[in-house]
Amino acid sequence: MSNFTIPVGPLHVALEEPMYFRIDVSGETVAHVDIHAGHVHRGIEYLATKRNIFQNIVLTERICSLCSNSHPQAYAMAIEQIAGLVVPPRAEYLRVIADEIKRVASNLFNVSVLAHLVGFESLFMHVMEVREMMQDVKETVFGNRMDIGANIVGGVRYDIDGEGAAYLRAQLDRLAPAVAEITALYRTNGSILGRTRGIGVLTRADAVDCSVVGPVARACGIDYDVRTKAPYAAYDRLEVPVHTLADGDVWSRAMIRLAEAATAIDLIRQCLDQLPDGPISCTSERPPIPPGEAIAKCEAPRGELIYYVRTIDSPRPERVKWRVPSFMNWDALRFMLKGAKIADIAIIVNSIDPCISCTER
Amino acid sequence: MNFIKNLMQNLVRGPSTVSYPFGPAWTPDKFRGRVAFKLASCTGCRACEQVCAPGAIRFDKTPEGLRFMMWHNSCVFCGLCEHYCPTDAIQQTTDWHLAHAVEDEFTMAIREVIAYVNCSACGAKTLSSAPNPVGVNPPFSAEEIEQQRNLCPGCRKKALAERGATS
Repeated sequence: MSNFTIPVGPLHVALEEPMYFRIDVSGETVAHVDIHAGHVHRGIEYLATKRNIFQNIVLTERICSLCSNSHPQAYAMAIEQIAGLVVPPRAEYLRVIADEIKRVASNLFNVSVLAHLVGFESLFMHVMEVREMMQDVKETVFGNRMDIGANIVGGVRYDIDGEGAAYLRAQLDRLAPAVAEITALYRTNGSILGRTRGIGVLTRADAVDCSVVGPVARACGIDYDVRTKAPYAAYDRLEVPVHTLADGDVWSRAMIRLAEAATAIDLIRQCLDQLPDGPISCTSERPPIPPGEAIAKCEAPRGELIYYVRTIDSPRPERVKWRVPSFMNWDALRFMLKGAKIADIAIIVNSIDPCISCTER
Repeated sequence: MNFIKNLMQNLVRGPSTVSYPFGPAWTPDKFRGRVAFKLASCTGCRACEQVCAPGAIRFDKTPEGLRFMMWHNSCVFCGLCEHYCPTDAIQQTTDWHLAHAVEDEFTMAIREVIAYVNCSACGAKTLSSAPNPVGVNPPFSAEEIEQQRNLCPGCRKKALAERGATS
């Protein structure tokens, strides 16, 4: 058996995001993985200190398109903590709705790319078409398909009236059976199971060592979800089931994502049922932000997202730092890829739902 | 999934894509598109300039007055300007047709001037901007806005004090 070193990436590994792997293979089996980063470093953390606190809501939203609601939400939560602003209850529910709409779209996107990598193109298109319902919701309710611009410091800047709620419910009623159908298919289809079961296994011990978060952790049996461990926004008033599976393979991660998409649909319905009346923001103007520092975290579609913000006596923050879920999940790839076949590399990389633009910012 | 069922459904429903540019493309009412500016409502508070993350909105002083400039090609359509505008002078439309020839690059902008006038009470040079409605109760009537427009900041304050019920 001969040994080679092969490059995978930086272009076109699963998600067309730039991630470079130098892989030592022994025959067809991966022996060693070297991960090289830095291809999309844009200096956003530095840029954030050159923009004022209110401009940064927009900047943080544009770090990453798939979790584009989680970044400004965590950032706004940190600023609100510094300024002692109390977000009105209606805004808290509206934040959850925005968050969960993004989660459904993000999870379905990843699951559809899995079908594409398996070679099941018709399923890929079917899942993307189902996801399109959520894209239509975003465009109709928020005015944009990806950067929904829901959050501002002190609350939200969109509102759902009776007509909007009826539209949202109607879309959810169409989406829920479609997601259930897709879930059943991923559970039973031979092509999907053959390529994903027992592939890219991450043991619970390795998961703990790498401190993975989000669906990757929950697929290894780690019951950790920020929405239940440290509830923010309106999550403490909602029924949030945490899904876990024991196997830690590619299939488990896909199933966790599908289960969470179904849960997210249920959470949006709970929010619409409980939605209280009242203002959507604690102030209509820009509130004064005193010097201070704060940490806020939220559950992005990929896992725990932590923001640290330090403000000084200036309109600009002195430091904005964030830790994204892909950073730890990425490290776990070394364990998942060990002993894998070359043909499975792309499927395994996709299974952590890597978000390079968040990680390298 | 029953593929026959799915196939039949897809045959009946037809393509999922729209035939744009040969047919109309669906645009929701809340779509955040091209920014429109209403000079008559602008108070010149410059809140939009301060929250504009890409720096698409700029104000500068010209001999004629305070100039509002907005570059459509720099805009990221976030809508913060609209959100923080106290008088809805800046609003996003549903228009997303922004493709243009390269030679039109510098005309893809809004340039409007809030002109200098002489204060109708004291004669001092001042901007004929709309009055700031924040905290004014009861709100300004249309005539009051026109009266305030031609007053300098000092005379506006005086007029507001005479009006009584202010914040």
